Amino acid sequence: MRFSESLQKLDRRYIYIVVALAVIIPLIFPLGLKTYTTTPVEDLYRHIDAIAGRDDKAILIDFYHDPSVMPELYPMEIALIRHCFIRKIKLFTISFWPTGAPIIEMALSEVKEDFPDIKANVDYCNFGFKPNALTIPIILGMGDDIAKAVETNSEGSKLEDLPIMKNIKNYDNIQIVMQISGSTSGYLWYTYARPRFGVDVGVGVTAVMAADTYPFLQTGQLLGSMGGLKGAAEYEKLVDIFAMKGLDYSKKKARDIAWGSKQYSLSNIPYKYKKARIGMDAQAVVHVLIILFIVIGNIGYFLDKRAEKRKYVK
Amino acid sequence: MKRTIPLLIVIILGFLFVAYVFIPHKVSADFYDWYMKWIKVIGPFAVVLGVGSLIMVHTSKIKRKAPNWGYSMVTIVALVITTLTGFIWGIQEGTPFMWIFKNFNVPMGATMFSLLAFYIASAAYKAFRARSVEATVLLIAAIIVMLGRVSIGQAITHWIPDATEWILNVPNLAAKRGIGLGVGLGMTATSLKIILGIERSYLGGGK
Repeated sequence: MRFSESLQKLDRRYIYIVVALAVIIPLIFPLGLKTYTTTPVEDLYRHIDAIAGRDDKAILIDFYHDPSVMPELYPMEIALIRHCFIRKIKLFTISFWPTGAPIIEMALSEVKEDFPDIKANVDYCNFGFKPNALTIPIILGMGDDIAKAVETNSEGSKLEDLPIMKNIKNYDNIQIVMQISGSTSGYLWYTYARPRFGVDVGVGVTAVMAADTYPFLQTGQLLGSMGGLKGAAEYEKLVDIFAMKGLDYSKKKARDIAWGSKQYSLSNIPYKYKKARIGMDAQAVVHVLIILFIVIGNIGYFLDKRAEKRKYVK
Repeated sequence: MKRTIPLLIVIILGFLFVAYVFIPHKVSADFYDWYMKWIKVIGPFAVVLGVGSLIMVHTSKIKRKAPNWGYSMVTIVALVITTLTGFIWGIQEGTPFMWIFKNFNVPMGATMFSLLAFYIASAAYKAFRARSVEATVLLIAAIIVMLGRVSIGQAITHWIPDATEWILNVPNLAAKRGIGLGVGLGMTATSLKIILGIERSYLGGGK
């Protein structure tokens, strides 16, 4: 086999081994690469943070995914819940996927460990799993009355009897619906809830779906989005910069810290709150590696082409 | 009769829903409320149907000792155990159901999805060749976006994340919107054909 040919036909097993090492090594020994915040994530953070401490506003997170996409989406959910608990933002959670309901339980209990004063059904309420067939009736019904449309929380208690529902009636009291999804980028919410009731919609999606959100960000149907692990890493960072220090959001400060030359230390942050940022180190290395593979393949291709051309001229 | 009745249901309900959307009247609103109550009743039947079908397919495979019938056994056992633990101890944090979810569902699901990284790396290496002008443009765009979506791109120069945003906001957006409009028009046309009874393949049974 010619050298140019061998460059184009690397055994895929070697590729797999190199990719595995490129993922594992940065996860064990984080590189501490910087996280740069972007406008779609900053918009989400600012919009959610604007209702800090308010009793008549809440956010709703729709866990629209199963465990397969958890490595990318779970850090987003943790960061959102943590933001709400720190800044006393009323939080509702719901899932129309049977496998989404346990993820809500996991995420809430994981963050709640660090917030002993946060109480279920007072500061947050888990609506739990609602059958997929009821998605549209619930989405539309919440426009009139959330307690009537959802009926019960995950423990079977009537919503209308819960303290958290005081001053919460319908979408007028929902600051934003966040759909965290691995299969759709907020489609049902911006098709049914937004045009009819005017509720703002944001999404957290896997990286492969991030490109799908851009047409809807441009039209304003989506207020903001978190794309893949990078989006989660950005939100984690914004929570650390502002919410943890009790500061109101400022784009200038966010950009100064995120884009400035000084590295933001992660050493004092618990692992569960910096998972996405550590994961981004592995992702950065793998991206560079894939680019290298592409370059190697193309060098082989052009060497091969040149050799064939010479052969033809002779 | 087997085809006429479902066809009539689809045609009548299709027109009723079109009327509900375009005619804001108390009658149409009442109809929709009535439909909502019905769907809450009908929805759970799908679960019974789904579970029943799953059990029938896999028990028949086990009985026949069909190829890979062991997997069917695992499916049935997992279904029974997970359902029982959920019914007996509930599905809250700290229950056996949650233990199964955390120690089986989560790692197995994540493992399947993470295989994508290996396939993408291998496929990108094999497929991305600058064979034509179009392929070269695609190749360059892919490299810029891959670098721009991680911090290394920003560390090289801020032009890379800026170019990434431009690619996503302009060419990607234009293509996505074009595809979206095409899909939307296609869905409208197909829906009209179904409502008018022209498209009947959903009834099954060949022609």
